[in-house]
Amino acid sequence: MVKSVPGWVRALATVLAVVVGIYMLLPIIVVAISSINSERFLSFPPKGLSLEWYQLVLTTDTYLQPFLTSLWIGLLITAIAVVVGTAASIALTRFQIPGSQAILSFLMAPIIVPSIILGIALLAFLSVYADGASITGIIIGHIVLAIPYVVRTVSGVLLQQDRFTEEAARTMGARWWQRYLLVLLPMCKSGIFAGAFFAFNISFDDAVVALFLRSPSVETLPLAIYGRLEFSPDPSVAAVSTLMVLVTVLVLVGFERTLGLGKVMA
Amino acid sequence: MADLVISGLRKEFGSSVALSEITLDVASGTFMSLLGPSGCGKSTLLRCIAGLETVTRGDIFIGNENVTALPPEKRRLGMMFQSYALFPHMTVLENVRFPLRMAGEGSKAEQLERAKAALERVQMGHLAARKPTQLSGGQQQRVALARAIVSQPRILLLDEPLSNLDARLREDMQIELLELHRELGLTTVFVTHDQDEAMSLSDLVVLMNVGRVQQVGKPEEIYGTPKTVFAADFLGAANLLPAVTIAPGAAQLAGGHEIRVPAGEFPAGSDVVIGLRQEDLRLNTEGDDNSVPVEVVAPVFRGAEVQYVVSYGEQRIRLIAGKRGPIIPAGPARLSWRTADAFVLPPA
Amino acid sequence: MTQPLHLASRSSRGRKRPWLEPLLLLSPAIVLLMLGFFLPVAQMVFSSVTSFQGESGFSLANYAEVFKSDYYLSAMGRSLKLSLIQTVITLALALPLSYLMTRVSGRISGILMAIIILPLMTSVVVRTFGWVVLLAPNSWLGQMAKSIDPVRYGQGLLGTEAGIVISMVQVLLPFAVLTLFGVMQNIDPKLEEAARTMGAGFLSTLRTVVFPLSLPGLISGATLVFALSVSSFITPRLVGGSRLPVLAGTIYNDATVNLDWPFAAAQSTLLFLAVVMLIFATSRIGSRK
Repeated sequence: MVKSVPGWVRALATVLAVVVGIYMLLPIIVVAISSINSERFLSFPPKGLSLEWYQLVLTTDTYLQPFLTSLWIGLLITAIAVVVGTAASIALTRFQIPGSQAILSFLMAPIIVPSIILGIALLAFLSVYADGASITGIIIGHIVLAIPYVVRTVSGVLLQQDRFTEEAARTMGARWWQRYLLVLLPMCKSGIFAGAFFAFNISFDDAVVALFLRSPSVETLPLAIYGRLEFSPDPSVAAVSTLMVLVTVLVLVGFERTLGLGKVMA
Repeated sequence: MADLVISGLRKEFGSSVALSEITLDVASGTFMSLLGPSGCGKSTLLRCIAGLETVTRGDIFIGNENVTALPPEKRRLGMMFQSYALFPHMTVLENVRFPLRMAGEGSKAEQLERAKAALERVQMGHLAARKPTQLSGGQQQRVALARAIVSQPRILLLDEPLSNLDARLREDMQIELLELHRELGLTTVFVTHDQDEAMSLSDLVVLMNVGRVQQVGKPEEIYGTPKTVFAADFLGAANLLPAVTIAPGAAQLAGGHEIRVPAGEFPAGSDVVIGLRQEDLRLNTEGDDNSVPVEVVAPVFRGAEVQYVVSYGEQRIRLIAGKRGPIIPAGPARLSWRTADAFVLPPA
Repeated sequence: MTQPLHLASRSSRGRKRPWLEPLLLLSPAIVLLMLGFFLPVAQMVFSSVTSFQGESGFSLANYAEVFKSDYYLSAMGRSLKLSLIQTVITLALALPLSYLMTRVSGRISGILMAIIILPLMTSVVVRTFGWVVLLAPNSWLGQMAKSIDPVRYGQGLLGTEAGIVISMVQVLLPFAVLTLFGVMQNIDPKLEEAARTMGAGFLSTLRTVVFPLSLPGLISGATLVFALSVSSFITPRLVGGSRLPVLAGTIYNDATVNLDWPFAAAQSTLLFLAVVMLIFATSRIGSRK
């Protein structure tokens, strides 16, 4: 911090940081505490403590099935978005393409356009050209949402690197597949990991697109939680929500340890 | 090691011509510089030799093999990039081993052995296990050099390799490049915009401008007898005085003074430019063949020498005098030179 | 997160068919986005003007319907009002916070970053759930509100616009902080030191140096936050309930409950146009600097 900052500013800054910190974490903490409530109805602060809700969540199909659905959709989205997004990033950063800025804006558009619009547009589109809301629709929607994040992280990494490395590899005798396997892909590794994290997170957490495209046969985890919240929230929702947050925390910690959060987010 | 022949090379980017009528014959083992201002096409020519650009017309031969249609990976060259282009995800040793690995020469152990040897040659052996990002600019540069020579390439291509270094390191590296060249005898193509670098390193200088070769020769040839105003100016920043020839061996300067010049191919009445090197001019000295009156604008003492800026009519002329003798103060003086030192050039 | 990415172009010259490789690399992404995004959005806009209550043919009746109905007008008005309030509050918090984050030690900055990112990476459903518990009449916050105004906050903060704003700002803050943080990180602290040596106090340095330099981040942050605000419906719906409809909520209802897609499409098109116009306008402001 720049020297000679007035004392009252420092005090105010500390208060701001603490208050905002509490404000940001409060809802998550409250969910976690509610999950160990021993009563049948949600109340805060809880009257008694118990882990029975976790047992319930982990042993019955009510949440386990949606969790597995969200998991495989998330992994599928991650795989597709990473492959497609990385390929596009390589094309945009390592080749001279007419209108590459325009193509980039095109690929980035789903980040800016509200996902509710994507949801309804996809629903209407699939109702005309396919058989309406379905898991395929959710998957398409998530891919569209995830690709821009992969493109952003991977091109970000590629743009920071020396742009002559592939040419150098060629002068040293590398064939096209060696250029990709030995030079390009290892160089975008950190961008690919970050992009994969975003892609999985977007799909795993999404409720908006899923709400529009849900069909009776499929339920994702956010949909299951949303459904409970609209009607009869009980501590089991809190338990499953806490588990969801825990998964996120674990992934975030893993990221901080390996790549550094600041680098990934900026 | 091989000789390099380029014949009738032309390179167009869309409608713009980057290189035209490039014809060069470089004997095996030559250290050749491609010298010119930025945008003159020297880097494009280097990239054509490397195969990183497809040529529009003409041919490139390396050791009697026409490589024009070969992709870069099949040309067996060593190239060092201006930005070094080290692979950030590999250690220094893995970087240097890369060309050997691609060529599949010998076992992995042998490759590592050779890579290690190449690193030792540039005094980087002790940093073999580091990642390139952990090295300083000068160290990265040495690693890049080791990587370019490790596979004993037919030709070594260097793209402004010294431009990212500070003055001191650059001098060290120049000497090292010379030693390396003497030791390995590699045919070397060296791209630079720095005339001093080109002159001090090269056996052969190719002076380029706007996509064409202006002059080819040994450094002392181009410096001593430039054929164009561009060459005289770019190598050694000669003073250029417009004049008209009036008879064989005589010309009249724009300021009206008649001077003697080396007899040349210009008929009487031609517009020419008289080129004079800074170190060939003297002030207030007897015994030279030519002299004109000038005004000394400012003497600048530089330790080993004194630089003067004088005005001759509208024109500024620079000259360098040894530190012996008194410093001539601002004011009128006589500028003189020997006829043989002047060169008569066609106007630009 | 929203700064434009500038591409430096590289050559693919020296190959036989230089366009083939980038084309193969790019086409999957373009095809997917075309099919999964642009065509559906185009079709949505198209259907909003070609189908009205089951009849086809060009018609702006869907739009007229939106503007004729008090219910939809008030939903739109509420969306606009809440989004403006949320944008202002979010940025007022994000501005000092992100400045703070760029000027404290790396460790504290890292902790703050983690606190900001964790909620961002948590499903909006989970976060809203937390707020539903927190704002309920029997919770601390609910009790507090009740003691301030027993009539208006009789049911705690659930079902109130104040409740929506409190929970939405928490959802939106990370986006604003990340955008501003990126911009402020690029402000050289030496500029502030220079201003101090020239006689500017701490606060006037903030006003004359830091604030003007972070304006681009403020503008793009505000754009992003407003766009997210105006299009969100999960939090307003769960916290605000059905008595406080917002535009995005009516879209959801008409699309999934009433199954009147052309009508929902018309509302979405309005929302879409508003967001696109906003982005266009602010990017013009941004590029003029």
